[in-house]
Formats: sequence, structure tokens, C-alpha cells
Amino acid sequence: MVTIEERLRVEEFLFKEARLADESRYSEWEALAEDDMHYWVPAEAGQDPDDGRISILNDNRTRLATRIRQLNTGVRHAQVPPSRMCRIISNVEIETIADGEYFVRSNVVLYEYRIQADKEMEVWPARVEHKLRMRDGEMKMFSKHILLLNSEGPVRGLSFII
Amino acid sequence: MLDNSRPSEGIRFEELILDDRVHSTLYTDSEVFEAEMDSIFRNGWVFICHDSEIPKAGDFVRRNVGRDPVFAVRGRDGEISVIVNRCAHRGNIICQEERGNAKAFVCQYHGWAYDTKGGLVDVPYPAGFKGDFSCHGLERLAKVDSYQGFVFASFNPTVPSLGDHLGRATELIDRAVEMSPVGRINLSGGWVRHQLNCNWKMLPENDTDGYHVNFVHPSFAQAIRSNYDEAVLQDEESLKSEAKDWGNGHTELNFSPSYSRPLEWFGCAEDRYPSYSKALREAYGQEKGDKILLDGPPHAVIFPNLFLGEMNIVRFEPVAPGVGLHIHTPMYLEGVDDDVNQRILRQSEGALGPTAFLLADDSVIAERTQLALAGKGGWLDLSRGAEREVTDDNGVVVGHLTDETSNRGFWRHYKQVMQGPDQSSPTAAAAAA
Repeated sequence: MVTIEERLRVEEFLFKEARLADESRYSEWEALAEDDMHYWVPAEAGQDPDDGRISILNDNRTRLATRIRQLNTGVRHAQVPPSRMCRIISNVEIETIADGEYFVRSNVVLYEYRIQADKEMEVWPARVEHKLRMRDGEMKMFSKHILLLNSEGPVRGLSFII
Repeated sequence: MLDNSRPSEGIRFEELILDDRVHSTLYTDSEVFEAEMDSIFRNGWVFICHDSEIPKAGDFVRRNVGRDPVFAVRGRDGEISVIVNRCAHRGNIICQEERGNAKAFVCQYHGWAYDTKGGLVDVPYPAGFKGDFSCHGLERLAKVDSYQGFVFASFNPTVPSLGDHLGRATELIDRAVEMSPVGRINLSGGWVRHQLNCNWKMLPENDTDGYHVNFVHPSFAQAIRSNYDEAVLQDEESLKSEAKDWGNGHTELNFSPSYSRPLEWFGCAEDRYPSYSKALREAYGQEKGDKILLDGPPHAVIFPNLFLGEMNIVRFEPVAPGVGLHIHTPMYLEGVDDDVNQRILRQSEGALGPTAFLLADDSVIAERTQLALAGKGGWLDLSRGAEREVTDDNGVVVGHLTDETSNRGFWRHYKQVMQGPDQSSPTAAAAAA
């Protein structure tokens, strides 16, 4: 059981993280990630990250840095211009993993207006699992797993920060 | 089938496909699409799966051949059947899981049961069934054959042999499997299904287009140092890679001439995986082992729906004139240490699929192309490099990396298939039977 204060800190983090992703503020979003970050979108329900099955996205911190670097070039066509996005976060459940570390479940519905080719609205519902850590008075994430409801596909291009 | 008319009747492919250009209606017209489903996906050979996906008796995977739902299943005799996924009774999906193992396939609508060859073995309440079990089996694709474990099938009982279809391109498949010291690959890593809102033909065309890389992938080049720096991202005179037309619609980008170090194609130095290099040289001898380590895997399309994408295997799937799927899996190697396959997996996730450093950009460009072809459309130019391509001793047409040699090869074969002789259509064959 976490305290009300802890819950507020966690929820504040989720909302900020969502806003930075929604607004494609890549470097500010990246600054929320710890060195041991695992950013993962499995391709199958119930997938284990280490079972040798392919993922839609499976970034350690180094590859995540590359991803952000690519987005920051300004010539990542798939995100020029960036998608307009709005994510709604709900059903937040928080467990303490260790002192100052939290496992957070939430449900997210992301609306994406894709304006790079045809103008289309895409909806990305997902169960999301964060692992957060309080360090030097600031909340950071060291894991974000996005379990897309439609991970088995077909899946459209997903070049933004999910 | 009762309908003897071919959907391609009335489409004048000879007017839409010229040596140096193709018309945009080939990407947008629903009649063209219907004709392709018949002439290419039912009449010819289509890649289904790799035998490593279904190693044991009863193992199955679901697939689509064109739009026809099928499943491939290994029988108790070890043979693979490709069976239409439609109950012979009232047409329900008979194999519901994407993959798995089954002793029998039981329809969930009325309980008809079939064996792994598609034969009907049980009908509930049998007193009311006056039919002949042997006449009520599931529809099987008429031809199934494989090469190096790659399983192909065709609805057409009179299709020329798989060997005729593959022609010289067996060499490309050989090169893929010979990345393994034991000559075997393993496609057990699962598939990612990436949807592009573009015509399916843009997928094989783009995968063997060497001209676009500088323009579609500058963000990749700026963010990542890779083997493509040498192979693709040079000025015109310095580029040593080639675009090739192997005949029968099989096409390749050959990056090998641009590599100067073993494992450069793998993005690392040889001493990163010493036991892999050693195993290849022991298996194939010093000379051929050195060549494999230097040249790397093929980057080639086997017409119509298989892409040997270096250390990935890709299936193309047509959904509608403006929708195609690019479906990929890592090409795991047998007989190597886990860390080699781990690298293959991570590179596959990096290069292909909805979030990838490469394909995400290709997909938005393809979708813009599809938009541009809407309405009355116009011509697409394919003339680049026609005057400087050469035919080598094996009959393979070789062009500069940036030339449209590969795409011209795709369309030359496509035109021939789409205009093809009526008597080879399954419709005609079924009517004659």
C-alpha cells in the first residue's frame, strides 16, 4: 500500500511522461529514463522479453538513445510532421517494489492523428506497466512496457514515442 | 468453380506495362487486384512457411495465400500439406489458432472432424449424413513443394515445377541458408505483421530499390553508423553494390562488392563472434567460408511474396488494392552460439516493422505514393540505368545499385504472368476436370 503522497508523485509522473510523449518533446521525454531503462512493445500477448520471440519494439537504454537521436534529426519522415496525440490514462494501480521503487499498472488509450500521409485517426489502446524510481528527489522510469491490445497485428507504423 | 471468366479479361496489361514505365492503375484498380489474386496468388507458386516453423507431426501455422485463408500442417508421415482453412460443411474457420499442434481439426460450428491431411474423419449424428467421407475433405492446395526448407504451394494443379519457378534464384536461397554452418535456418522467432496502406507490389519493389536509401533514410544514416554506410550511402561513382534481375521476377540488391571485411554486413568485426567464423570455415572450407563471411546474406525478393531480407525473412500479403502487409521474422541460424541469434533478433527489431529505424520511414513514403496515384493517375518511370545494365554469364541482369534493373525485372515477369496463357488457370483446369 502506497501513501497518498506517493500516489500523487507517481500519477504526476505518468501525466508528465504522457504529455512529453504526446507533444513529441523527445529529449525531455528521454531525460525521464534511467540508465537501466527497458522500453518494450511485445508482439504477442503473454510474451516473455527473453524467450527469443520477436518484439515490435525492444529497446535497452542505448537503443532508446539511438531512437531519440533519429527522431531529433528532423528528417525521420515517419514523424515529419509529428503525429498529433492525446493519451488518456486510467486505472492506475501502484505497488512498492523496494524503497522508493514502484511497479505501476495503467490503462492507456492513445489517439493519434496521423498527418504524415493520408490524414487519419488511429487509436492505440494498451495496458501499460511502468517501473519507477525516486532518485535525488525526482521520479524517473527504468521500465515501460506497452502491451498493445492489437500487438498481433496488423499494426500500422508506430514511429512516435508510445 | 462455375465462373469460367478470368477477372483479367479486359485489362490490357501490354498497354499498362512498358519497358521503361508502368501505369499507376496497376496499384489502384480493384480489377487489377482481383486479376492478381487469380493469376499470381492462385495460379503460381506462393511462399507459405519454413519447415522449421512446423517441425513435429501435427504442428501447424495459419497463413493467407492472396486472400484465401489456409493452414500448413505436418502430417504423421512428415509431409506438409497446405489446406484451405474452411470447413467443407458450412465454411467455418477450421483452424482457429495462429500456430500450434493438433491431432485433428474439429469444426466448432457442427463438429465435423478432419485429420492432418484434411480428410474427413467424423461427422456428429452420422445417421443423417448420407455423403461420402472421401468427397467431403478440406480443400488442399494442389501443389506443395519446398526448397531448402522454404515451403511453397499453389492452387494450380498444372503449375510448372517449383524448380522452374525459382530458376537461378535457388542460388539466393542457398546463400541465405549457408549463413548457417550446418546449412539450416530456423524461423521460430514469431512474426510481426506491419500494415502499410499501399499496394502490395510497392513492398517487393521498395525492398529491392537501391536508389531511395539516401533520401528515405537520412535520419538512419545520421543517427546510426552501419554497414549501409559503405554499401549504399556513397556518391554514384563510389557505390559498388548492384541491383540485379535474376529472372522470373526474382530480384536482388547485392551489397557484397562493397564489403571489405568479414562480418561487415553484421555491423561488427570478425573477432566479435570467433566461433561463428571458425564454424563457417570448418563447414564450407577456407575459401567458401571466407566468402560467406565477407559477402554476407542475400537481400533479394523471390516472386511474388518472399523477401530474403539479409538476416530476416519477410512475407508480403495483399489485403486490398491500397493495403498490404509486410510480415517479418528473424532468420535464426542453426549450429551457432546463442549470442549470434540474439544479435540477429535485435537487428531484425531495429530494421523492420512498425517502429523500426528503416521500415517506419519506408511505410510513410509508400503511403504517400499510394495517395499520389489516386484518381486517374499517370505513369511511373522505370527507365533509370537501362542503357548501362549488363547481362552476366549466368543470364542475370546486373545494374548499378541506384538503377531500376531490379524493378524492371519484377514488372517484366509480372506482365508475363498477368497476360499468361488461359489454359493454365485453376479455373480453366477445374472446369476441364
